[in-house]
Amino acid sequence: MDPAKTPLGQMLLDEITPVVMVLSTPLVEEACFKNGFSFLQMLTPFCSFHNIDVPVRTASDQPYRLQKFKLRLFYASDVRKPDLEVAKEHLKQVITEAGEKELSELSLDAPEISHVLESSESGNTPSWLQFFNKELIRVVSFSDHEAFDHPVACLLAVSSKDEQPINRFVDLFNTNKLPSLLNDGVMDPKILKHYLLVHDNQDGPVDRATKILAEMRGTFGTSDCALLCMNSSSDSPVKHEDNPWASYNSNVSPGQDLGCFLNIDDVNEIKDLMQDLSSKHIIPSMEQKIRVLNQQVSATRKGFRNQIKNLWWRKGKEDGVDSINGPMYTFSSTESQIRVLGDYAFMLRDYELALSNYRLISTDYKLDKAWKRYAAVQEMMGLAYFMSDQSRKEAEYCMENAFNTYLKLGSSGQQNATRCGLWWVEMLKTRDQYKEAAPVYFRICGEDILHSAVMLEQASYCYLMSKPSMLRKFGFHLVLSGDRYNKCDQVKHAIRTYRSVLSVFKGTTWSYIKDHVHFHIGQWYASLGMCDVAVKHMLEILACGHQSKKTQELFLGDFLQIVQKTGRTFEVSKLQLPVINISSLKVIFEDHRTFGSLSAANTKEGLWHSLEEEMLPSFSAAKTNWLELQSKLISKNYRDSNVCVEGEAVKVNIEFSNPLQISIPVSGVTLICKHSPSTSEVTSGTKNDIDGKCEELTTSRDLSSDNSSFLVSEVDFLLGGGETTMVQLSVTPRDEGTLEILGVRWKLSGTIVGFHNFEFSHVKKNTAKGRRKGKRSPNENFKFLVTKSIPKLQGSIHPFPEKTYAGDLRHLVLELRNSSEIPVKNLKMKISHPRFLNIGSPENIKSEFPSCLMKIDSVPSGANANPSNMSDTVFLFPEGTSVQGVTPFSWPLWFRAAVPGDISLYISIYYEMGDISSVIRYRTLRLQYNLQVLPSLDVSFQISPSPLRLREFLVRMDVVNKTASESFQVNQLSSIGSDWEISLLQPPETIFPSLSLMAGQAISCFLTLKNCRRILTFEDTGSSISMPIRSDIKLVPQGSEDPVYNMSSEPLVNFHHYERQQQEFSHEPLGDLNTVDFVLISRPLQSDTNASFSDPPHVMSHHACHCSTASTGPISWLVDGPRTLHHDFSASFCEINLKMHLYNSSGATAFVRINTLDYTVTGGQLNPLSVVQSVTPSDNQAGWHDITPVNEVKVTSNVTGSQPGKSLSLGSVSPYIWSGSSSTNVHLEPMSSAQIPLQICVFSPGIYDLSNYVLHWNLLPEDRGGQDETRQPSGKCLGYTYYLTVLQST
Amino acid sequence: MIVCVAVVGHQNNPLYIQSFTEADDALKLHHIVHCSLDVVDERVNNPKKSGPMLNETFLGLLYPTDNYKVYGYLTNTKVKFILVTTDLDVRDADVRNFFRKFHTAYVDAVSNPFHVPGKKITSRIFAERVSTIVKSFGLNSAG
Repeated sequence: MDPAKTPLGQMLLDEITPVVMVLSTPLVEEACFKNGFSFLQMLTPFCSFHNIDVPVRTASDQPYRLQKFKLRLFYASDVRKPDLEVAKEHLKQVITEAGEKELSELSLDAPEISHVLESSESGNTPSWLQFFNKELIRVVSFSDHEAFDHPVACLLAVSSKDEQPINRFVDLFNTNKLPSLLNDGVMDPKILKHYLLVHDNQDGPVDRATKILAEMRGTFGTSDCALLCMNSSSDSPVKHEDNPWASYNSNVSPGQDLGCFLNIDDVNEIKDLMQDLSSKHIIPSMEQKIRVLNQQVSATRKGFRNQIKNLWWRKGKEDGVDSINGPMYTFSSTESQIRVLGDYAFMLRDYELALSNYRLISTDYKLDKAWKRYAAVQEMMGLAYFMSDQSRKEAEYCMENAFNTYLKLGSSGQQNATRCGLWWVEMLKTRDQYKEAAPVYFRICGEDILHSAVMLEQASYCYLMSKPSMLRKFGFHLVLSGDRYNKCDQVKHAIRTYRSVLSVFKGTTWSYIKDHVHFHIGQWYASLGMCDVAVKHMLEILACGHQSKKTQELFLGDFLQIVQKTGRTFEVSKLQLPVINISSLKVIFEDHRTFGSLSAANTKEGLWHSLEEEMLPSFSAAKTNWLELQSKLISKNYRDSNVCVEGEAVKVNIEFSNPLQISIPVSGVTLICKHSPSTSEVTSGTKNDIDGKCEELTTSRDLSSDNSSFLVSEVDFLLGGGETTMVQLSVTPRDEGTLEILGVRWKLSGTIVGFHNFEFSHVKKNTAKGRRKGKRSPNENFKFLVTKSIPKLQGSIHPFPEKTYAGDLRHLVLELRNSSEIPVKNLKMKISHPRFLNIGSPENIKSEFPSCLMKIDSVPSGANANPSNMSDTVFLFPEGTSVQGVTPFSWPLWFRAAVPGDISLYISIYYEMGDISSVIRYRTLRLQYNLQVLPSLDVSFQISPSPLRLREFLVRMDVVNKTASESFQVNQLSSIGSDWEISLLQPPETIFPSLSLMAGQAISCFLTLKNCRRILTFEDTGSSISMPIRSDIKLVPQGSEDPVYNMSSEPLVNFHHYERQQQEFSHEPLGDLNTVDFVLISRPLQSDTNASFSDPPHVMSHHACHCSTASTGPISWLVDGPRTLHHDFSASFCEINLKMHLYNSSGATAFVRINTLDYTVTGGQLNPLSVVQSVTPSDNQAGWHDITPVNEVKVTSNVTGSQPGKSLSLGSVSPYIWSGSSSTNVHLEPMSSAQIPLQICVFSPGIYDLSNYVLHWNLLPEDRGGQDETRQPSGKCLGYTYYLTVLQST
Repeated sequence: MIVCVAVVGHQNNPLYIQSFTEADDALKLHHIVHCSLDVVDERVNNPKKSGPMLNETFLGLLYPTDNYKVYGYLTNTKVKFILVTTDLDVRDADVRNFFRKFHTAYVDAVSNPFHVPGKKITSRIFAERVSTIVKSFGLNSAG
């Protein structure tokens, strides 16, 4: 790449060019001012030549041609070092102006980062930066140690109107007025002079001017004089197409027409003049000077001899003055001459020559410790290297060296360092070394904050443009820069930089930095009075939960202040404070479903659905009636919308949470709704008059709450730090039509309104035909069809216990109210847990509790309740029941806490409208109650058959009080049904010495249970027993006043029914007749600790059902016979008759076969040894003897007995023989008993175990459904021990 | 003295930043850590050496600022650890050692089944461990 085409090359070609000093008389200026500019300004556009094509021959003999050339014109008064303060002021103004210009773009959104990257690639950094850099470089122009700013020529302009123009020319170049550079010997005062006579054509003909020109030529020489005629177009102002002056004059007002009196000829004349000046005068004179100087330098410095001399001479000067600038060099000194030679060569683009001279001088300056000059020369060397496209490394090294040297000089070198740095940066940029350029910018930052801000900003762009771009450093440097801009009150620039930062952090989680940036942008915008934008940025930082509390307060405080400053209420979509948990959104509305409580509404629809299934009109009926009606009533668009009733609130639950640590007041939380009335025909019409036409007047009304068609509730609350609140909002439609809930709005801290639109992105179309699907789908659809007001039942159960003990039995009342005038009828009710809640009969409502449970002698028991009708079906309220008006309708309910745990009871009440003209013909009221049931008494029973009687059982009842503090009085134990009779084995006083069961106490008591069921035996089938049997026993001492509870009273028997049903599943066989149910009635004792619980009289019932009595099988038997016998074995063997009682307790006919065995089948028979033992002692013959040793022996023999056949061979005959039939078959009817005679023969005295038989039973299959499959159809039982003692009679 | 340690996720999202200074310079440290990610990226994309350095997790001195030195460490899951210290003469071995310990603590913290990968590390135990490691670093370099 041609270095001259690079930005730096362009800059150098522009900046390091010959300077022409302009001196003019006031009359010349006057003539120019007619056109709106000064003399200098008039000439400036024609000072740069693109195709000058001048041959140049410098030191070498080979000429080359210059194409581009430029002159810089300065008034003599400007040829001096710029004043630092003025320059600073000027730069500041430049920046401010740029800021103003940028402001117009500021209100736009922050650019996307990709956008920024793109624009940066096309070199689109803010253009004013280049301009600023140029201005910054100009600060150090006309310094005495650099020759390229020294004027090479002087242009003297005198007007033809001036008197004595020749003298004026001489006066102009008066040394007193010349710049100090020429006067104090820094540069050669003998410079090229060019004399220009300016003639204004408006002043008169050109004759006088030509005369003067001739005179001038005589005085100053022919070649150096020229005449310029201008303002030729006197009549009409000339309009210049692409005015050449416009781009050079920045502060020109648009109306002004520059150069309006200059016609084409004038312009051409100026052009020619300048071209002549540069090509015929300036360039040749520079060539000339170069050649002269080169000769001088060669003579004094080139060659070995000169170098040695020079070195020696410098050494000698070492102990001279050591000022900062080194020694003073005049224009005539060799050093200055070399420098001038170098600069001239540079300006004429003979970089080789320039470079060699710079190299020569740089060592000299270094030896002289003239650091500033040394640095300047190094700088020029770098540039020369660059322009000649030689070693890059050298170029950079020189630049760095120069830069560092300048920096070492301290403040005096600062400006030079800046310039050098800028050139260096440009050099790096040209070579795409952006990453290296950025730190240089960073180093340029001096003490001046404003400048460093600009430099940092440029550094940031370097990071952006480096490959790969370092976005984070870009952001960081922008932040630094913005910060500095802000310190210098350049707020607009600060905003600009910070806004660029935003693009870096967009979408990242670096929230600290993001917050900082947004906050400051907001603040700065606010300081500029652009509060709207400020608020927009401040909104971003509101949800700053990660910040410290102090910062949060600051953010919120500033935000509110800015909002207040704007003086209007903002409506902000998706205000971040407080945070809305949209997933918590829940809409509760009542169409044909109404809810008794919030918790009922929160229950899953499916649960209600299954509960109400039987109660509602059948599917098809609902379809034809309800949907048909609906489809005609409403247009297709609204088919999917939900139905709600006029005057009944639609509630929306939504969660607000505060991410901050400080509390925020939120007020006026309301729903945004839209109501559009539909034609009144819709609801007033009966079923027949609908012709399918329905106009929707969807006039959306004002959303404010004073809208008459609906009412919205307003909620205010204060959200503490980190709190989350569930808010219930409601909207109550007051007119028929369509209601749509659009969103929610709220006011934060009373100043800013936020709203959040519920988005319908995931609306599920309710495609289920006929019936509503679950609750979810309507929830997401916020459109409602408002129908005419219809009655709504409200119901409650009181007093409903929230916490109770298991078994607690209570009397409750269901109360229904209908506030409207229209009656409702056809009431039905269903309860989810009939085990807990039972529907009473209307007479119960007045009866007193618990006395209504008592057995009253006069009333025959078991008459009024029939549990069979208490299935899970729907309860129908009596015909004609209608609820209307103020009087509530009451119905008794029985409650019993069946099992411990947290229970939710669901009750659904169905009712129909009295007046059927509405879309909704029936409604359901859904009630839900939660209760906590604590464990109380734990009752368990163990039943074992009595060994003495066939149908008697021993029962052990264990009662444990599992409560923590309650004590109970156990009142009564009852067996259910008429088959079982129970009696206590001990008096109750011994069981409950303290009459109560303390917390944690456990007792056991024993009872006998007798089966009193009618028995069918073979012998007497006809006899029947109809004795009243005692199925209740009181467990309180005799004579206490407590009456006996009637187990067949309504609630108890019903609850028992459900309890049985429930416990069926956990117990095995259904319909087993050998099970018994017990009910234990207890009462909590009055205790001081828990007065609320035991205040009303309580009864608790505990049900234990299906306690099985049959342990071995359906057949029970008992061997009956003598236990002790005396026999004279000397006479004969002994024959003993026994009787076996058999009882079939199953419901099926059984075949029983008894096989007697003469050999032992299993262990359990007596050991022959023991027989001998027990028999031989003669002293033991006197009757009963202790059987325990035998038992002990038997225990040992069990070991052998477990291996049958080992100790006993088949050949060993048992000591007794079954006589009679060895196998007997019996046919046993259900519930019947039979007797079988048995006989054995005994041959010697001893104790015999008559267990040597096997009972096979076989049940006939019954037509009882699947239940039988689980039962054993047949079985085999071994005989059980029956000890018979036979003694030798004497 | 260690001024700040940070864990940055593989998407350059901050997972954990803890400063150990009294002054309120959280923002500055955030910026430093954020900027150093550029250098990490650079190091990762243009590895100076291959071969034995290929699996090197320790990235060395990322860049020196006026008052701080920033060191980096890159785990195999592209999680970056950044250490900002005010000590101007730090031995590399110390820093390596620190990062090794820090890495162990990090691994333990993210092994917690309740930690959501890619979310900020909120474990109190991790914070405690880190502060002990940081304290011990100060002791080592002092002694």
